[in-house]
Amino acid sequence: MTLPVLQVRNLSHDFGGLRAVRGYNLEIGSGQIRGLIGPNGAGKTTIFNLITGIYKPSEGEIFLGGKKIDGLPPHRIASLGVSRTFQNLLLWRHMTVLEHVKMARYSKIRYGWLGAFFGTSARHREEAGIEETALHLLDRMGIRHLADQVVLNLPYGAQRRVEIARALATEPGILLLDEPTAGMNPEELAQIMEIIRRVHGEFGMSILLIEHRMKVVMELCETVQTLDFGAVIAEGTPGEIQNNPRVIDAYLGRERAE
Amino acid sequence: MAGNLWKPYSRVPLLGWFFGALVAVTLERLAGAPLAQFLGLQKIPVLFGFSDMLKTPVSIPNVLLYLLAVYVVPAAAVTRLGASPANGIAAALYRFPMAVTAAVHLALLYAVLHVWAGASDYRVLVLRLTLIAVMLTLSLNVINGYMGEFSCSHPGFMALGAYCASVLTIGLFVDAELFGAASLSPALGRFLFPVALVLGGLLASFGGLFVAIPSFRTRGDYLAIISLAFLFIVKSLIENLEFVRGPRGLSGQPDWADLPTVFLWTVLCVWSVNNFVRSTIGKALNAVRDNEMAADAMTVDTRKTKIAAFLFGAFWAGVAGGLFAHVMRYVNPGNFGIQNLAEVLAMVYFGGLNSVYGSIVGAVSISLLGEALRPLEIFKWIIIPLLLILVMIFRPTGLIAFRDLDVASLLKPKANPGEGG
Amino acid sequence: MAVFLQNLVNALQWGSFYALIALGYSMVYSILMLFNFAHGDIFMVGSYIGVGVSMALIALSAWGNVVLPNWLILVLTILFSMFLTSFVGMIVERVGYRPLRNAPRASAAITGLMIGIILETGNLALLGARRVSFPSLIATATYDLGGVFVTNKKIMIVLVSLLLALALHQFVRRTKWGMAIRAMAFDFSVVPLMGVPLNRMIALTFALGSALAAAAGILFGVAYPVLDPYMGILFGWKAFVAAILGGRGSIMGATLAGFLLGFTEIFVAMIFPSTLRDLIAYSIILLILTVRPHGFFGEPYSARLRL
Repeated sequence: MTLPVLQVRNLSHDFGGLRAVRGYNLEIGSGQIRGLIGPNGAGKTTIFNLITGIYKPSEGEIFLGGKKIDGLPPHRIASLGVSRTFQNLLLWRHMTVLEHVKMARYSKIRYGWLGAFFGTSARHREEAGIEETALHLLDRMGIRHLADQVVLNLPYGAQRRVEIARALATEPGILLLDEPTAGMNPEELAQIMEIIRRVHGEFGMSILLIEHRMKVVMELCETVQTLDFGAVIAEGTPGEIQNNPRVIDAYLGRERAE
Repeated sequence: MAGNLWKPYSRVPLLGWFFGALVAVTLERLAGAPLAQFLGLQKIPVLFGFSDMLKTPVSIPNVLLYLLAVYVVPAAAVTRLGASPANGIAAALYRFPMAVTAAVHLALLYAVLHVWAGASDYRVLVLRLTLIAVMLTLSLNVINGYMGEFSCSHPGFMALGAYCASVLTIGLFVDAELFGAASLSPALGRFLFPVALVLGGLLASFGGLFVAIPSFRTRGDYLAIISLAFLFIVKSLIENLEFVRGPRGLSGQPDWADLPTVFLWTVLCVWSVNNFVRSTIGKALNAVRDNEMAADAMTVDTRKTKIAAFLFGAFWAGVAGGLFAHVMRYVNPGNFGIQNLAEVLAMVYFGGLNSVYGSIVGAVSISLLGEALRPLEIFKWIIIPLLLILVMIFRPTGLIAFRDLDVASLLKPKANPGEGG
Repeated sequence: MAVFLQNLVNALQWGSFYALIALGYSMVYSILMLFNFAHGDIFMVGSYIGVGVSMALIALSAWGNVVLPNWLILVLTILFSMFLTSFVGMIVERVGYRPLRNAPRASAAITGLMIGIILETGNLALLGARRVSFPSLIATATYDLGGVFVTNKKIMIVLVSLLLALALHQFVRRTKWGMAIRAMAFDFSVVPLMGVPLNRMIALTFALGSALAAAAGILFGVAYPVLDPYMGILFGWKAFVAAILGGRGSIMGATLAGFLLGFTEIFVAMIFPSTLRDLIAYSIILLILTVRPHGFFGEPYSARLRL
């Protein structure tokens, strides 16, 4: 067996005096889909921000394909192969769909500054290649017809697809999806699940998925971790998790307290 | 009706318009003076007659007649009649490599400007200053529009370029008492002038670092202040440097920034900025502006991007400053203050953010308006701000925002009337 | 030591002007999240209005044969001018900022700059290029405090400035209007829900800021009687720097930073040749902002320019 794609060891993070993540461990093999669930404020997105380098972990280590990545700046981690989407859709409001996907090829660009200023032929060749790759990806996501639209004008479901297409354009080894179904109606939900399945099937992508909807987790994930107050309280198949009393307590107990 | 009149013109290629303009300006050179005399005007209206009309309102019909007879009618006729041949030539040209096609168009554009400006020294001066304004506006748009930072340091960059280039040319080629006898022959100067300008641009780029590095950690208002502080520092640094004569200013720059030189540099600037902002590397500026965190997550090196934008913008501001110094042949620190900043900002925001077209339109219209309204004296500075306020209220991102030059489609022949664009 | 104290006194006076103007920037910033770039010119307008008001009062008292003591004329001038200038501020808001409330911040900054130019040019067009001086209402009395010379004007300027800053502070803390302003600064979006008339509150903020700028303008005229239409530009920009250094929207911060800027400028001029004043003062500011990018009292969050 080869190295796991992503390995997180004993990860902890403090905000001021508050320990937001404690002793988090994760191992994702090639082509696996893992789920990460937990009540609001449990630290799920913080874990994503730690893995992608937005926060520097207080303790612990992160390895991508055996290479230590914690402490690197976010764009380095991204170009090494960790890509993500954001819970509240961080798109570039004045850019078109195609430009979004092309932008994610940034770290692959070889023509350099002089090429950018003076439009060398190497640059034109490379830009054409980037465009082709980007259009191909848009095709796979079923949004090629929107290529020249500015993202701000698109419906919500299409914006989600743009974000996933953009994330895939970095050619990641692992994809982190932060609540990809948040705020979707049932129809959009079915479509986005289909997209995630396709990404997993056709691209053979390893995926770490934060999700609130049990239905999505049940259908997509092989194993699930449940997080509460920054620590994993249960880990197992979706079926096991669903019946775990501690998980039920974490969700229901929180609601009762509110 | 108006639509019908306009329709034939929709299939005129850019080349056709240039032909029309060339005929009009040539006609003015040949017959402008007698015609002006015939119409009872003292001399040919220098800037499309704006100042004549403002000074002596009685002459308005005559000036309009002149404009019609010299510019509008000949240009319209030639453009219309020449549409088909122009399309033929444009189509033939289009088969050549883009560089050749573009060069022919630029040569024609230059010819139009050259003939037009040849009528008076004033026109040459205004045209050169306008082209420099285009460079400044475009380079500021890279930072304020494309990257969305409110940078106030542009006159500072310009000053660095202006003084650096001036010191080099005066010191090396001009026998000024300031730096002792000239050590190099002025004949060499023409060839080394570009080097002086580039060095001025590089010095400005170096200055750009002082704003770019703080921009890693802060944005918006604080960066605006940092850039403003930078402007004050540069200005008062120059005021305190005795070897460039402090507040008295530097004069005696050699007269090397003639129209072709300024035109070439402007073309180079527009071309490289347009190239840059259309490349994926350049689009990273937009990504950093619209959402920095997402840019980072999508492998964009945001620090490198910010540095590039500031250094690139500052470079062209420096070159423009160098040209400005050699057009005016005198600079003092007062040239590069808040007033100048307000002017450049006005051009950028009037024309349109994130837009090469907009920058050209903004710079040209504000410069020409400034000259045309000169007879109104002080009221000029009430009318132009009012105009800008109206633009801001009705089009907050400027007249033509978010439009880059697509050279290929611009130079395309327009054989199909229905095609459009 | 005497030299130091002497400069301290001068710096206090100089800082008073910056502090009063910076307060106006800060107030507007705290609720609209934008800087009123015409504010420096409102300071200038206030100063000119002050000249007009005081001359009118002098003429009035001569005509009515009422002997108004000069100090009373000065007090009345300050109050009337503050009142009148506050309308200038409200007009600026109505014309230049209200139509742009949902527009990008940079566009509003541009309208502000343009209104500033219009105010300068308008002044020049109205009064011509001749110099206007502030009537001298109080005779300068100099007190020698062990080698340190203090004039009555300096004392008055510093006291009045502190008094006004304190009054503003109390207004914002204690009154219903002030609470509404603070609520708006806290969260702009919920305030209309609580029944606070949004437009009127914003107008009030502009009025208050402009009134303080007018006070600064008159105090400036008392100390340096010769006025010119462009006097607001550099003062305005420098006070803007002070407002930023103080942390956006902080009354205390703006006052302190205004005085601090005054101290820096005066003491730099004390130690170095006066031509180096701006160079060193701004180098220090650049350094401060590079090390502490969010001022002294500001919250460390990075506002983006919305396009």
